[in-house]
Amino acid sequence: MRNRFDEQLFELNRELIEMGAMCEEVIGLAMNALKTGDIKLAKTVKEQGSSIDQIERDIESRCMKLLLHQQPVAKDLRLISAALKMITDMERIGDQAEDIAEIVVSLNGSAAYDHSLIDQMGFEVIRMVTNSVDAFVKKDVDLAQKVIEQDDAVDTYFLNAKRSIMGMISEKSADGETALDLLMISKYLERIGDHATNIAEWVIYSVTGTHKGV
Amino acid sequence: MTSRIFKSILSAAVVVLITSLVIITGVLYQYFGNIQENQLKDELSFAAGATEQLGIKYLEDCSSDNYRLTWVASDGVVLFDSHADAETMENHSDREEIKEAFFYGSGSSVRQSSTLIEQTIYEATRLGDGSVLRISVSRASAMVLVLGMIQPIAIVLLIAAVLSAVLAKHMANRIVEPLNQLDLDKPMENDVYEELSPLLHRIHAQHMEIKKQMQTLKQKQDEFNQITSNMKEALVLLDSTGRILSINPAARILFHTVLSCIGEDFLKIERKQNIRIALEEVKKSGHSDFRDKKNGRDYQFDLSRVDSDNRDQGVVILAFDITEQVNAENHRRQFTANVSHELKTPLQSIIGSAELIENGIVKEEDLPRFVGHIRKEAARLVALIDDIIRLSQLDEGTDMPFEDVSLRVLSEEVCETLADAARLKNISLEVTGDDGIVHGVPRLLYEVIYNLCDNAIKYNKTDGVVKIHVEEKTNTVSLSVQDTGIGISSEHQEKIFERFYRVDKSHSKQSGGTGLGLSIVKHAVQVHGGKITIESELNKGTTMTIVLNKE
Repeated sequence: MRNRFDEQLFELNRELIEMGAMCEEVIGLAMNALKTGDIKLAKTVKEQGSSIDQIERDIESRCMKLLLHQQPVAKDLRLISAALKMITDMERIGDQAEDIAEIVVSLNGSAAYDHSLIDQMGFEVIRMVTNSVDAFVKKDVDLAQKVIEQDDAVDTYFLNAKRSIMGMISEKSADGETALDLLMISKYLERIGDHATNIAEWVIYSVTGTHKGV
Repeated sequence: MTSRIFKSILSAAVVVLITSLVIITGVLYQYFGNIQENQLKDELSFAAGATEQLGIKYLEDCSSDNYRLTWVASDGVVLFDSHADAETMENHSDREEIKEAFFYGSGSSVRQSSTLIEQTIYEATRLGDGSVLRISVSRASAMVLVLGMIQPIAIVLLIAAVLSAVLAKHMANRIVEPLNQLDLDKPMENDVYEELSPLLHRIHAQHMEIKKQMQTLKQKQDEFNQITSNMKEALVLLDSTGRILSINPAARILFHTVLSCIGEDFLKIERKQNIRIALEEVKKSGHSDFRDKKNGRDYQFDLSRVDSDNRDQGVVILAFDITEQVNAENHRRQFTANVSHELKTPLQSIIGSAELIENGIVKEEDLPRFVGHIRKEAARLVALIDDIIRLSQLDEGTDMPFEDVSLRVLSEEVCETLADAARLKNISLEVTGDDGIVHGVPRLLYEVIYNLCDNAIKYNKTDGVVKIHVEEKTNTVSLSVQDTGIGISSEHQEKIFERFYRVDKSHSKQSGGTGLGLSIVKHAVQVHGGKITIESELNKGTTMTIVLNKE
């Protein structure tokens, strides 16, 4: 009985890693699409996004089954409840990457503006997501802590990006629509950073049993 | 053990007890039965004699408790019975013993009572008047006797049980003790029951076999570990659920992990999409491969499913570094593209000139210029092909004669050859330093110095200086060619040894040359096991230094 439980926890762990990896990839793809203005690439993001939704549902039902059938306690219970919370954040990351890709499609490859700041921001956000997934994989509280600290850097990036977009508008170097699109992208990235922070917090909870908000 | 022995002892005791009881009871019963019968006969003949003389009076007088006397008339009517009223008794003529007595003069019979508890023995004799006198006695049946003995038998059985329990324990201990003291690690050194020796032999043989198998297994394991830990390729074995069974040091470096990851999910150490897809595919089709960049190098990942008894036993992941191969492929591709381009350019020029001449567009007086152009381009082509041939010779590593040669002498020869070219740009050539004797291929070394000096002149400024300095050290000889030319910026320094690489692509035709010179230099130096270094500053000049081993 326990053996079967361990096996199911192992599967849960694996699916979470898979989902995390998918999130990393999907933002990577979206940012790449933005950088290169590659519309075909942007469209593959959508497919990835739906497979993230699928795996979210799988993990959700697995968690529910585990909770109902095995009535886990202590560490196992923390893992499962943290998993339930984490997948919501991961799924949101996937959605936001999809949104970014959609904007890339609507921009239609018009890359006649400077988005190096957004690229840097994207790089930082991808690193945050990678680190938060790594923190989960290795059950590494220090790394999770680092992710939470990284969020400040992303917030600063967002402020800078906002300022530079404001500059673009006042200099009329970009039309209003593009400027707004860029602002949306940087907002999405900032939100992804927040989700990565949430994941890191839940990793800390699943390991230590304490959560910032609890 | 003890209970088995106890059971057998007890059952033996019980069987012996019962048989002896049955036999003794049977024999004694028979014996006493005979004695009783004889007594009965004696009693009867006495009673018969008395009855003949005294009649019924005797019978009435001698009423005994032990015997029962019955007088039956010749028609079967009971005349007298000592234990019952004769009047009420039925006719006895059909009784066996009485019938016998009527017939033979005497008769006897034994009858069981209906409850089997008693047995009655009858004896009858015919009297002189034809009537019959019968005597009978009752005795207990054999079964009743036995039943009466149940209590003592039970006690005996109890004693037997206790005794056999004690004995069984004792015997079991005695039998088992040597067995317990058997040294199964050294089965042949035991001295116990003879009956055990086949078993001990067997154990010994199995011991040896296990030892041998363990040794082979350990050897195999060691071999496997040795091979996998020393191989450059990364090797990971996964079980059917995707957990790591074995991971060699190269793989640990590749995936940035430690040995303790054994037993963990492989996705924990590597979760990239391509490997996940490959892992899924390998489950389905049995094999998959892909290429990926990792740690800044190119790797080829080969995944194979391990099947045994038609069951999926796991996956082998083998990753090998193909950076060199990829680079070589890229180089080859570039080289082919470059060669075709470089060969085509002079040919186009030749075709152009020739067409002009063919169509008679060229005036008579311009003809020499055009023909000269064709010749010059053809010569360039030949020079190019020569260089390519030389490079491919170096690539092939064709055997070339090694001999002692002085770098200084070679340098002076080169200077003589290039003196004209130097004079054109008013460049002074200087050779200084030691003799610099090395063991090498003179033709190649000449080529090296020639190419270096040629470049030093070609990319020099007018009125520049080219200094060639040879210096002998304990084991090595170094030769440096220093110029005062345009210099090479650091971003180009790495690449100038590549085939057809030009720092300034637009001026290649102007300066002449094939773009293969430094490639040849690099190769030739490598053939000699030497090194080439470059120091350069833009617009100040370049110093190329080659260091060769003396031997």
